[in-house]
Amino acid sequence: MLSALIWLPFIGTIIIGCLPKTVPAHRIKLGSLMVSGAALLWTVWLLSQFNPGSTAFQFQETLPWLETLGLNYELGVDGLSLPLVVLNSLLTWIAIYSSSEQTERPRLFYALILLVSSGVAGALLAQNLLLFFLFYEIELIPFYLLVSVWGGSNRGYAATKFLLYTAMSGALILAGFLGVIWLSHATSFSYSALLEQSLPLGIQFVLLGVLLVGFGIKTPLVPLHTWLPDTYVAASTPVAILLGGVLAKLGTYGIFRFGMGLFPDAWAALSPWLATWAAVSVLYGAMAAIAQKDIKRMVAYSSIGHMGYVLLGGAAMTNLSLVGAVAQMFAHGLILALLFHLVGLVEAKVGTRDLTVLNGLMNPIRGLPLVSALLVLGGMASAGIPGLVGFIAEFVVFQGSYAVFPIQTLVCVVGTGLTAVYFVILLNRTCFGKLDNATAYFPKVEWFERTPALILAWLIFLLGVQPGWLMRWSETTTHQMAAMPAPRLVAPTLDQPFQISQDSLSLPTSNSLTTHL
Amino acid sequence: MLQFLLQAVWLIPCYPLLGMVLSALWSPSIIRRTGPRPAGYVNLVATLIAFFHGIVAFFEVRQQPPVYESFPWLQVAGLDLSVSIEISAVTLAAIIIITGLNFLAQLYAVGYLEMDWGWARFFSLLALFEAGMCGLALCNSLFFSYILLEILTLGTYLIVGVWYNQSLVVTGARDAFLTKRVGDLFLLMGVLAIYPLAGTWNFNELAQWAKTATVDPTLIALLGLALMAGPMGKCAQFPLHLWLDEAMEGPLPGTILRNAVVVQTGAWILIKLSPVLMLSPFVQQAIVAVGAATAVGATLIAIAQIDIKRSVSYSVSAYMGLVFVAVGTQQIEAAYLLMLAHALSIALLVMSTGSIVLNSITQDLTQLGGLWSRRPVSGLSYLVGAAGLMALPPLGGFWAMLALADGLWPSRPGLFVLLLAVNALTAFSLTREFGLLFAGQPQPMAQRSPENIWAITLPMTVLAGFTLHLPLILQSLGLLPEWINLNQDLALLLIWSTLTGITIGAVLYVAQTIPKPIRLPGKPLQSFFANDFYTPKLYRSSVVFAVDLLSRLTDWIDRHIVDGAVNLVGFASIFSGETLKYGNVGQTRFYVLTILSGVVLLILLVSWPLFTSIWTQRLWPTP
Repeated sequence: MLSALIWLPFIGTIIIGCLPKTVPAHRIKLGSLMVSGAALLWTVWLLSQFNPGSTAFQFQETLPWLETLGLNYELGVDGLSLPLVVLNSLLTWIAIYSSSEQTERPRLFYALILLVSSGVAGALLAQNLLLFFLFYEIELIPFYLLVSVWGGSNRGYAATKFLLYTAMSGALILAGFLGVIWLSHATSFSYSALLEQSLPLGIQFVLLGVLLVGFGIKTPLVPLHTWLPDTYVAASTPVAILLGGVLAKLGTYGIFRFGMGLFPDAWAALSPWLATWAAVSVLYGAMAAIAQKDIKRMVAYSSIGHMGYVLLGGAAMTNLSLVGAVAQMFAHGLILALLFHLVGLVEAKVGTRDLTVLNGLMNPIRGLPLVSALLVLGGMASAGIPGLVGFIAEFVVFQGSYAVFPIQTLVCVVGTGLTAVYFVILLNRTCFGKLDNATAYFPKVEWFERTPALILAWLIFLLGVQPGWLMRWSETTTHQMAAMPAPRLVAPTLDQPFQISQDSLSLPTSNSLTTHL
Repeated sequence: MLQFLLQAVWLIPCYPLLGMVLSALWSPSIIRRTGPRPAGYVNLVATLIAFFHGIVAFFEVRQQPPVYESFPWLQVAGLDLSVSIEISAVTLAAIIIITGLNFLAQLYAVGYLEMDWGWARFFSLLALFEAGMCGLALCNSLFFSYILLEILTLGTYLIVGVWYNQSLVVTGARDAFLTKRVGDLFLLMGVLAIYPLAGTWNFNELAQWAKTATVDPTLIALLGLALMAGPMGKCAQFPLHLWLDEAMEGPLPGTILRNAVVVQTGAWILIKLSPVLMLSPFVQQAIVAVGAATAVGATLIAIAQIDIKRSVSYSVSAYMGLVFVAVGTQQIEAAYLLMLAHALSIALLVMSTGSIVLNSITQDLTQLGGLWSRRPVSGLSYLVGAAGLMALPPLGGFWAMLALADGLWPSRPGLFVLLLAVNALTAFSLTREFGLLFAGQPQPMAQRSPENIWAITLPMTVLAGFTLHLPLILQSLGLLPEWINLNQDLALLLIWSTLTGITIGAVLYVAQTIPKPIRLPGKPLQSFFANDFYTPKLYRSSVVFAVDLLSRLTDWIDRHIVDGAVNLVGFASIFSGETLKYGNVGQTRFYVLTILSGVVLLILLVSWPLFTSIWTQRLWPTP
């Protein structure tokens, strides 16, 4: 069942890639739209079959593959990955729908987008560390090509930067995974088997640190973020939607699933620092966004701040904050996709992204009234105005984390205030003001450009008014995650005396390695 | 039927919401067929339905104790967010005032925006405000009140920005949004912090909790200050006051509502929260101090304004300051009375001055004058509104201020003196405006100024009627003090202070004996008041400057240090590669040597632990 989400787009990739050159672009778009639509429908069907009350992985599939390596084809979904799977299917469809029919080399473009969707779905569903890693690396290549071939100016630089950063992230994650396997003497990369490991705290710290940096690059967290503005800005609109909406979530997903899931004790010990890191990320992202003069860059920086809330929720590790963090991932995906889509529309119609040039788009006759209205909605959703999905996710995170980390939470609240500052700057310059009649001859906004924005806006509004529909999926899983550290504290054994003293905190790896040799 | 209407009180905010959705449908393509006006009519009907529903329910509930109802909204991870509403005489009275004033303001807007095409946007925003305020009146939960206040903050941004292509409007909308948002964020911090302490957000349960609560005084003081900041922003109190006068740039029918009832949303929350706020004497003092400072300061600023709209808006801040004083000294009933008198009188003042601004083109007081003979209806309405605001019997303002004075005199005589001063200054300020608008000879801008069409004049006169009848309404509800219990000394002092203000104002501005303009001695003092204590400048050079500087600094660090380090690594690897390629000499033996030494190094490195263990075993052989 879950395999369909991976292999349907993959088969689509192959078929579309092999189509003859004579097939016109709009046919190809229609074809890929149907493939991703089928995947989306399949996801909806899965939703209807999913049991939100169960803590176990559901729809599990296991096929032996390379058993000597410990690599098996193991899939499964729980409340943490399910919202992100839905997000992936939805945003892939939206991205394809919103792409221009004049795209150059359409076969390659749509094939790559479907491949990305397949890879992300695989990473989210994988229940085997090595399998996760394979999928995690697979989507790197199509993204590199998507940015470097169809990107805007400066795409070469941006794509290379993205490739290097993400490759580094992949290397660190692999190192972390191998470390877990070897040091815990596990025979398989299977996730559920590894949950039983009980490594000494010192080793947990090292491995968690490696994974945090690896996934922190993808998320991204300050100061590992500098690939993000360049890549997001250089990417074309559909690719930016996928990058910001889906790919960044792989980072936070990885942090939650593998960082928090495999090393709960180290996570709990590090959590004050993680919360502080989150607060710094939030402030840094917001402050950097205020200074931007390019609206796409501004939106890109907003993403850094919003990922900070997710980390804050994870660090606090309460029932409530984890539900909020998962909801925030989903909400942020929707909001960022909407904002990138609208910013892309503004650029396509007006011809500029420069805040000092844009003006008066709210004009109902000669401006872009619908785009402006939705931009207000998107900006306000991102700034955390209630009634929209961004608010309730942030609020639940804050309410959950306040009890544990009050100072960091309050700093993050200040961050939402700064978010409002730069969105007001953006809206005041773009939508308000006087439209220059001499230059205001904008092409019409077509239906295929409006529809995705309207769907996203509707979802943002709907889930803001009925947040229960979003949070019910993940509640049980996050409840289990929050309860995790207590029963699995490192138990003292005979051959491994229990000592969380100075030497176990200060890198005991070299010691233990030598004793093994 | 009546019982049903009472039980379905939650429907009242839904009528304007429906009106909002319907009128938002009037997009340019529909406007081409029907014109923009139906968008307004839809809302008028929706508001009227809400108004009558409120009245019927009010008479049903008048003699009954408050009823609380709750609707589940979100239950997640042990957090139960249910919408709790309070059905009581007070909340329904608030709804009647909100919907009634909304109806009048919308009718006014039909006349005021006759030439405008943006009806759909404007009326749907008015409806949003109406729905939000009705919801807030019913709401019994701090959390949902916060949600509604925040949505109204967004509404203020949009409604001030309706005429978005004027630069003053853009800055006004921005300042209104950001200033209110600062207050809202503090309120959010308070909302977050109070839940772990009290375990509830429902106002009635919070009041119960506050009776027996024992909390750390520092914590409760900080919490109280955070909770107080939200109302401060909404009520335009010092130092979060500067948005209200800038918001005057928006369409005037919106201003009627904003000045009359929207600012009171803050006071409403403050009253609901007062049991919690009273836990900390420090917070109590802070509320009184903020209110007193605003009451005096804003009145002084109002006197120095030459823009009629701004002058009125500073009077609003001042009056809200009195409400803060009332709440801070636990005079809840006086606070409600002040709010009621204020809502009607200010709405009337804004309507009458707006009707003059509309066809005199200017809002500059120095360019108007001599309008009494041309605009008798507006003039009379202005007088009624002014009389209703200051302590002039028998109108509402008098009874409200008397109630406040009654409570202040025994315990806080200093504040009573302050009340007298504010009242006298307000009376002076309103008389001054009256003189500049209506007395003397008409200036060029005031030459052609007939009364406006009925859609503007009718709501104004109806409201004047209500303002005049407010004492009768109060009496029928049993809210006026008995003649026996009346503290006549205080009443006389209040009346004297009003008369002093009026007399000085009349001598200076109505009687045309002293040449205009009249200035305070000393130019700096005059500009100090005229420029709102230089608050905008102060903000620009402090908070705005700091945020701007910090954001630039962050951006610089981001570009040059964080990204610079990354680029440096890239550059260094390219550079070293480029440099190393000149080491190629083309001789095989050199390459073999390089490879060999590398391999040896690697082996040494890998087997280092082995060597050390051999070494240690040699030296200290184990027995």
